[in-house]
Amino acid sequence: MKSKSDEELIELIVQNHRPALEELYDRYVKLIYSFSIKITKGDKEKTKEIVQQVFLRLWTTKSTYNPSQGQFVNWLLTITRNISIDLIRKEQKYKGTVQLELEEWQQMQGLQADDVQQQVTRNLLKQQIQEAKRHLSEPQQRLINLLYWEGYSLSEIAELEQKPLGTIKSRLHQALKKLRNNFNGKIGGVRHGE
Amino acid sequence: MGNKCDNLSLYIINELTNHDKKQFEDHLLKCAKCQQELKSIQETWQMLSYDVEETEVPESLKSQVMDFVFEENKFLKHEEKIEAEPISFKERILSVAKRHFSPISTAVTAILIICLIGFYWNSLQLKDTIKSLENKAADPTQIVTTYSLTGQSLAASATGSAYLLQEGTETSLVIALNNMPITKGNEVYQVWLLKNGNRQSAGTLIPDQNGSGLITYRLPPEYSFEDIGITLEPNPFNTQPQGQKVLGT
Repeated sequence: MKSKSDEELIELIVQNHRPALEELYDRYVKLIYSFSIKITKGDKEKTKEIVQQVFLRLWTTKSTYNPSQGQFVNWLLTITRNISIDLIRKEQKYKGTVQLELEEWQQMQGLQADDVQQQVTRNLLKQQIQEAKRHLSEPQQRLINLLYWEGYSLSEIAELEQKPLGTIKSRLHQALKKLRNNFNGKIGGVRHGE
Repeated sequence: MGNKCDNLSLYIINELTNHDKKQFEDHLLKCAKCQQELKSIQETWQMLSYDVEETEVPESLKSQVMDFVFEENKFLKHEEKIEAEPISFKERILSVAKRHFSPISTAVTAILIICLIGFYWNSLQLKDTIKSLENKAADPTQIVTTYSLTGQSLAASATGSAYLLQEGTETSLVIALNNMPITKGNEVYQVWLLKNGNRQSAGTLIPDQNGSGLITYRLPPEYSFEDIGITLEPNPFNTQPQGQKVLGT
């Protein structure tokens, strides 16, 4: 099991091979758990619920992962974020539903990170993103936080910030561009996906 | 063009309406700048997920997750295996019931059963009502009018009663006679119904040895008459009275 690639494990899961799911759990639970505990602000019960749902989805909706479209871990994180935000919104009784991960997945062109270096890469990425975030203005940081981690929609954020929706939209655009520029600058020649 | 490029970020975070999304995708095919930007900004958006502190995962989580995943999927397999498993019939019924009836569906089922019983009871009641209505309609030969007939001339001692019976939509006339003189030869007593001076035959009868006789005549629909007369006729097939009147109302 340990020597198998993520794609091979997914293949085995399609054939209802339980040890393959357990192997994927061992590989990614820390990432999923860390992500979920952040998005739930440290709520261990909700985090457990999210992790359970993520692995249930892995076990039941096997066909949605297509290796040709990108790296498995990004797909996994996209699912995790969707499930988390779905849960958060349900609990906060927000209106509107979260789009299927498939849709988002289809837009996604994942990173081609080196499998061997995954853990290292992850830590590196974390440092890079945190560094890049420092270049954002206070309102830009707040926007990214509300949007990405709290699951608010842009119009809800416009309401919270008491700003026109157009302002929030362009603030988002500026924020993402600034993140991207600082991110690329730091990584330099080893930019992912190229 | 400029406006459409502005939708790039919204496209990446999936906040465009289906219509706007389609438009942006069309735009994307033509706009080299957006194509270039899309990839890098999308990556940046995804990078945000790495902005987490690594957290220790509780040891017990794995079994909780695996139990959850395989419990959720259990039925399918359980269903296949059910014969092999040495569980009692009662347990099996209970587990099937548990699986198929959530509290809500149990409540719904209970309500349906109650309704069903209600409907059944109601239909029994209805059946009874209908039956009694049918009986009422079927039996009740009701006496609408009673006439008493008195004898005269040669049958002066004769008495009789006539009843107009209503049976559904049909009306019958029943006449019972007593102490009638015995007829001789072809002689018959004939009943006549009188209306506006016209007489219509309502049948003939020959009394028994005791001088008693009974005749039933079904009246034509919507028929009415004023008086009843009985004559002694020399033969049975007269359409107008020939003999003398012996009884009348």
